[in-house]
Amino acid sequence: MSLSGFSKVGRKIVAVGRNYADHAKELGNALPSKPLLFMKPTSSYITAGQSIEIPLGCSELHHEIELGAIINNECKAISEAQAMNFVGGYCLALDMTARDFQDEAKKKGHPWAMAKMFDTSLPVSDVIPLEKIPDPANVQLWCKVNEEMRQNGCTADMIFSLPYLISYISHYFTLQKGDLILTGTPAGVGPVKAGDVITGGIPDVIDISFNVTQRS
Amino acid sequence: MCAFTEFWKHSKKIVCVGRNYAEHVKELGNDLPKKPIFFLKPTTAYIRSGEKIVTPPECEDLQHEIELGIVIKKVGKNIAESEAMDFVEGYALALDMTARDEQRAAKEARVPWTLAKMFDTSCPVGDFIPKEKVIDPHNLDIWLSVNGDMKQDSNTRHFIFRIPRLLSHVSKYITLEPGDLVLTGSPAGVSRVLPGDILKGGLKQNGEDLTSIEFIVS
Repeated sequence: MSLSGFSKVGRKIVAVGRNYADHAKELGNALPSKPLLFMKPTSSYITAGQSIEIPLGCSELHHEIELGAIINNECKAISEAQAMNFVGGYCLALDMTARDFQDEAKKKGHPWAMAKMFDTSLPVSDVIPLEKIPDPANVQLWCKVNEEMRQNGCTADMIFSLPYLISYISHYFTLQKGDLILTGTPAGVGPVKAGDVITGGIPDVIDISFNVTQRS
Repeated sequence: MCAFTEFWKHSKKIVCVGRNYAEHVKELGNDLPKKPIFFLKPTTAYIRSGEKIVTPPECEDLQHEIELGIVIKKVGKNIAESEAMDFVEGYALALDMTARDEQRAAKEARVPWTLAKMFDTSCPVGDFIPKEKVIDPHNLDIWLSVNGDMKQDSNTRHFIFRIPRLLSHVSKYITLEPGDLVLTGSPAGVSRVLPGDILKGGLKQNGEDLTSIEFIVS
């Protein structure tokens, strides 16, 4: 089943925060006892050739490199044991985050909408076929800004595994074909500014590159 | 091509404005907002007449919030307030079902409102109302009863932020797409509902019924 158009077919993106212990620590956050979920709308997608736009008023836009899993069939309230049957492919993604908006939202107990859901906040690679990632719990991810290494982690360090996440998420939200699950980011997140080039990759599997501009 | 009469099939997202009626802000002990606060619901939140509201896992305080919804007509990015009404195709009456206990916990823990607001069946919607049927969206009576007891009873003239401001503000950050639904906040009178409760709501225009909805909590 081809999921190459997943960013056009899917209806939502469910993302997990604080899923790598070192990333939780670097932002001074407590380790979660259950997955910390948020969503991104499909209007946040950009693909190769499109640019990341710093949202209006944001003075601290951060990169967050993540492994994404693409859902291949509708599912709800599934078990961990069944979860991987519903993954049809993967992608490499950036969960672009307006860190200043997020800090303000956290202080006030407000939603994270402006911090996480803005247009262009989800640059993604093409779909990665299942066979290229035989073990999603052992995937190296790196992210550079202007050729300088910023993030370099491994999904083995995820607190909650992909099957656990999919099962957990599916108990609250029906997942549909083309929906994307983002699995969290390792330590090393940091700011980017207009003119920067963000690159990322899974060694021997896929690379991505996106320019950062200012939203006008 | 978007068939607006079934906008819920075409929506890419539901954008919800919080704290848009002063009395509701006060009843929850919140501060009046200086700019619109918004969050999203995914399209899996939609249910239609005949479908039931389902309390999400672990929720022990499911609450109703009746809201006027705006159905978006065309792609809108950085919408100017003066042109905002050109982006309105019509309206719908909706419920922003909320797991209030989860919302309180999320605010205390400073985490997103995901489990509080986005769960399946958290957005029951009524029929599409074409724009021309509504004389003034800022003068509609909006009400909700639970098992026949009136709970929410107000008028959209009490909005803190009016529709053009809401559409302009949201679209500065998030492009609105045809069929998207924008919920405009809920008046005071939110309360807990239990399985078996029957929720009825409506909009009235100049004393006449414009639309009504009815949903059961299962």
